[in-house]
Amino acid sequence: MGVLPDEIKPAMEGVIPAHVATCSLDGTPNVTALSQVYYVDADHVALSFQFFNKTIKNVRENPYAVAWIISPESFDSWDLELEYDHSETSGPVFDAMDMRIEAIASMTGMTGIFKLKAADIYRVKSAVKNTDERIPLAAIDK
Amino acid sequence: MISEKLVEFIHGPVFMAIGTRNEKLRPTHTFVGGAIVNQDRETITCFVPQHRAEEIRGNLENNGRIAMAVGSLSHESYQFKGRYVSSRPTDARDVAIQEIHRTKLLALMLQYGYQEQIARPLVLGFRYQPAVAITFRVEEIFLQTPGPEAGKKIA
Amino acid sequence: MDIREQIAENDRIIEQLNRELAKKSTEVRIIQQISSEINSTLDLARILQLILDSMDRVLGFQHCMILLKDESEEKLRVFASRGYDREGVGAEVRFGEGVIGVVARRKKMMRLGNIRSSMNYLMAVRAKMEEAGQLQADHVPVNLPGLANAQSQLAIPLLVKERFIGVLAVESPQPNAFDELDEILLNILANQVAIAIDNARMYQMEEGRRKELDEANAKLLRLNESLEHMVKERTAQLERAHAELSTAFERLGEQATELAAFNRTLEQRVAEQLAELERVGRLKRFFSPQLAQLIVAGGAEDPLKTHRREVTVVFLDLRGFTAFAETSEPEEIMGVLGEYHAEMGKLILAHEGTLERFTGDGMMIFFNDPVPVPNPAERAIRMAVEMRERVAELVAKWKKRGYDLRLGVGIAQGYATIGAIGFEGRWDYGAIGTVTNLAARLCGEAKPDQILISQRLLGTMEELVEAEPVGDLSLKGFLKPVSTFNVVRLKG
Repeated sequence: MGVLPDEIKPAMEGVIPAHVATCSLDGTPNVTALSQVYYVDADHVALSFQFFNKTIKNVRENPYAVAWIISPESFDSWDLELEYDHSETSGPVFDAMDMRIEAIASMTGMTGIFKLKAADIYRVKSAVKNTDERIPLAAIDK
Repeated sequence: MISEKLVEFIHGPVFMAIGTRNEKLRPTHTFVGGAIVNQDRETITCFVPQHRAEEIRGNLENNGRIAMAVGSLSHESYQFKGRYVSSRPTDARDVAIQEIHRTKLLALMLQYGYQEQIARPLVLGFRYQPAVAITFRVEEIFLQTPGPEAGKKIA
Repeated sequence: MDIREQIAENDRIIEQLNRELAKKSTEVRIIQQISSEINSTLDLARILQLILDSMDRVLGFQHCMILLKDESEEKLRVFASRGYDREGVGAEVRFGEGVIGVVARRKKMMRLGNIRSSMNYLMAVRAKMEEAGQLQADHVPVNLPGLANAQSQLAIPLLVKERFIGVLAVESPQPNAFDELDEILLNILANQVAIAIDNARMYQMEEGRRKELDEANAKLLRLNESLEHMVKERTAQLERAHAELSTAFERLGEQATELAAFNRTLEQRVAEQLAELERVGRLKRFFSPQLAQLIVAGGAEDPLKTHRREVTVVFLDLRGFTAFAETSEPEEIMGVLGEYHAEMGKLILAHEGTLERFTGDGMMIFFNDPVPVPNPAERAIRMAVEMRERVAELVAKWKKRGYDLRLGVGIAQGYATIGAIGFEGRWDYGAIGTVTNLAARLCGEAKPDQILISQRLLGTMEELVEAEPVGDLSLKGFLKPVSTFNVVRLKG
């Protein structure tokens, strides 16, 4: 299928923090910033889960989430409609994410403390470039 | 409800976003270009950009549930949960507030060492007008700063 | 979108694809070029520099480094770098530290484009944890080589057949500086790089080993040579020793033979010498030692061998001795005899006579045997005359003691048979013949102080001797009476 286009990849490098909004089963929305939405493949993304939080709790009750990401190159922002699929504690996706966390943790003296607990895998239902949200780069006054 | 410290925080150079949901519990997200804490210290008015205004207002009128995340460059952040009160178009004062907010944010970003090529487009590229002023009553406040106490309710 | 727009869109897409294809072809060529360059040498340092140079020049990776795994420990060392103020060569990275360390530990490639923001995030968390007292003091950030403000890093493990040998890392101060294409490029490069490095290292090791081997070989060769030399020397020594030994053996054999021969000779000689000594001993009884030696030495014919010779024989004894002996003490007798013999002996020696025997006072002396002399009769007579004079002196002395003793001498010349007389163990040198009888009879007839000789003898001695006739004497054993004379004195 391939929902995520190639041009979205720079937005999934965690250069500029992303946002994700979820909703609990009792209808309370939650919105939070996170460092990175990981590209898994054209139909999946992953969110890393170090400390237990509301987002993780919510999606396990109500799988629908929406993520906002922005490319540090084009400054196009994207809204991703996501559906929580499953959580992984091993495998290539987990390993790739874990490696990055391990590297950064060692560089900040947090080895062993800051660890990837799980990788939450979401199916991407749609990816919409927010043309209205942003002023084109060229038009931004210097 | 909202402490002096938090009032200052909200009025400072912070990123803010709100989340709402529809009747199917599908969430929506949007950045807001600034907010003010009303004098009652119970309600917050935030400025939702036009491109998302309709959807959000629809959600709010449906269930009234709203969450707002406010975070600074230092990663200090808070989650305000509340109920929709009202909405109105933004006036000149609101615009002024937003512009002050933008300026402060950009300045702080540059201060923090973010490169201009990133800070400027990020902050200044946000289409903050036209916008809708949405007011909601704060019911719960949570600490959202990443760390051992993240998720702790503080009000 | 209408048809026109669609076509335009398609054109655009096609153009894009073409550009990408061209780009990829170029990249492939670039990779090939780099590969051939790095495979052209086996010098490790050179290879590393070539790789980094290419990565900068051709691929635009301005800050890059190559780290190689330590032999035994889980750490890497920077072996080459490019695009850094301080080279950082030799800097260490432990497994698990930073992007490079994690890549080394996991043996998987990693690309980060948001280092600063990630670190900011984590530092914030860390601050909170410190506040809450949840962080121990030993949790400190590690010191890593590379850019201080790196935002992007791409590191790839260098593997040779799954054997991890090091990491190739690139950095940038720009966020999100590397993309998937860079990953692909580096992946291709990494394989080549890993093999080239491994080859160079193996070559280094081989070179090192070869050097060691060469050195060992040379040592061995030298050792061999010196051993050979020693063996040669030793062999020569042994050969010499052997030769010497052989010679010695031969010599020994010869010596043994010689010795045996010598022994036999010795035995012979000893026997001979013994015989000689015996003879000398015997002969010394009769002859002076010199004469005896002379005889033994072969200067004279073996006198003990029976032979005939014309000799002059002298018999003498003391008149009145018997009566003297009967009436005197043995000591007196021995004393007289001692004196008498001593004087007579001197004269015999002086005249080179041969004392054949003596019995008490009687003596028999002859001349011309065993040593021939030119004038035996003359000698005999002269000796006899001197004896008479000497005895006269003795007589004078004896008379004072009351002894009445006087010399009487008989001399004859003629052939006698001479040789060994006796038996085994008691051979004597003796002469037998008419001449000895005659001399003895004449001595018997001699009155005191007479020296009696036959007319025949006188006939040969007339010029020497003044004699008076004594008469024709009838001597026992002689048919006819012998005309006898007394030697009065010597003429001249």
